[in-house]
Amino acid sequence: MALLELKNVSLIYHSHDGETEALSDISLEVASGEFVAIVGPSGCGKTTLLSILAGLIAPSDGEVLVKGRPVGEARNVTALMPQRDQLFEWRSIYRNVLLGPEIKRNKDKEICAYADELLTKYGLGEFRKKRPSELSGGMRQRAALIRTLVTKPELLLLDEPFSALDFQTRLTVCDDVERIIREEGKTAVLVTHDISEAISMSDKVVVLSSRPACVEKIYDITLDKSIPPLKRREQKSFPVYFRSIWKDMEAPNE
Amino acid sequence: MSEEHKQYLKKQRIHKLVIRIIQIGILILIFGLWELSAYLEWSDPFITSSPSRVVKSIANLYTSGQLFTHLGATLWETVVSFLLSTVLGTAIAVILWWSETVRRVLEPYLIVLNSLPKVALGPLIIIWVGAGRTAIVTMALMICLIITVISALTGFMSVDEEKIQLMRSMGANKFQILSKLILPANIPNILSILKINVGLSWVGTIMGEYLVSREGIGYLLVYGSQVFKLDLVMASTLLLCVLATAMYLVVALAEKLISRFY
Repeated sequence: MALLELKNVSLIYHSHDGETEALSDISLEVASGEFVAIVGPSGCGKTTLLSILAGLIAPSDGEVLVKGRPVGEARNVTALMPQRDQLFEWRSIYRNVLLGPEIKRNKDKEICAYADELLTKYGLGEFRKKRPSELSGGMRQRAALIRTLVTKPELLLLDEPFSALDFQTRLTVCDDVERIIREEGKTAVLVTHDISEAISMSDKVVVLSSRPACVEKIYDITLDKSIPPLKRREQKSFPVYFRSIWKDMEAPNE
Repeated sequence: MSEEHKQYLKKQRIHKLVIRIIQIGILILIFGLWELSAYLEWSDPFITSSPSRVVKSIANLYTSGQLFTHLGATLWETVVSFLLSTVLGTAIAVILWWSETVRRVLEPYLIVLNSLPKVALGPLIIIWVGAGRTAIVTMALMICLIITVISALTGFMSVDEEKIQLMRSMGANKFQILSKLILPANIPNILSILKINVGLSWVGTIMGEYLVSREGIGYLLVYGSQVFKLDLVMASTLLLCVLATAMYLVVALAEKLISRFY
């Protein structure tokens, strides 16, 4: 059974000036352990789609099922990683990471130990007492990822998590995040406008059309996944995928 | 430490010292000229008073035991209205943040109240709450409260929407968003509101004392000008300078201490 299922999901925005169709009849399946990237022209509603997956917005039509249950009932299964790291400056890294359990009121010894373990494992052990501003952009992003992992979700929703980083940091953080997610055996849905990032990180790339967004095409990425994303970009089929996806996104919407 | 850095530090120290010397020099110059002009009768000390007469005036207040009554009265009123307006203003801002409906309903009223010169309410306040300390505190409260509400609310509303989404995705309820995000994120904002409120509560208190009082610095100012004792007016003004600055420094120190833990 698929971990995440979207069945004919549509969304209409209502505002003073009228209604806008943002998403149109989107159907999609994400299997457990899969890394899926969603790309599309800017403003097509990628982030909106992710908000629906996170249960923050209800679709106008259609169903979103997580493990066969409506997404609203599956809060503990998913975790969101926002565009910028959104670490709270008034909290130490350690307390930032524990924000989720604190809200869910299940912060116990076991979870604290797990948080410590993750921080140490991913190189932030000695920074646990530091404030976010004392960390580099890449470390902050790692801390934000650990914050989403601490609640032991099965499905991670990543909303352009690298868009605020400079190019070089972006590539290394990309490798970091991909490795951590695979190591922890999580399922992930990544929304991005960066085609190379999508191809290099994921098992499957979903191309959305411009607004109203519908699924234009789905690619199974057959690159060698045993090497880090940055290296995958050197493989032969990489530019083939890139050209094809680039074309899809250019194609005028009928 | 390199020789160059030593030179740099020395330069900085000297610069700081020069500024301090000039500052003190200006003060001495002003008081010196003031005293001199009264002594040489360039001006009429009956109108302009003089530092020595001011000191005498303060000494008189002290020996007659009135000094601390007046200072105490004004200080009490200022501190009470300062604390009340900060606490009440923040609480009201929380309510307005909480409910969009309440916020939108009250918006025009806030605008009117903010634009209204609060001193105009003086006569009404005296009739409604009586001529006494309560009237003075109410006056000061009126002046500080609305601006506190508006600035606090602006701070609450400008918290990054993405942070709120993040908390909601973790399943946070509204109270958790308030207590774990909105309020802590706004501590620097509230601290800067405190600094503004110190000044405004002094304005309110003195204003209130002008309208109705039997004691306090505002009372001394009005009384002094009515009986043409300019020494007393000048003395009160100087006392006010000292007190208001002292209170500002206390708040600034509190801000420094809090932001260290923050």
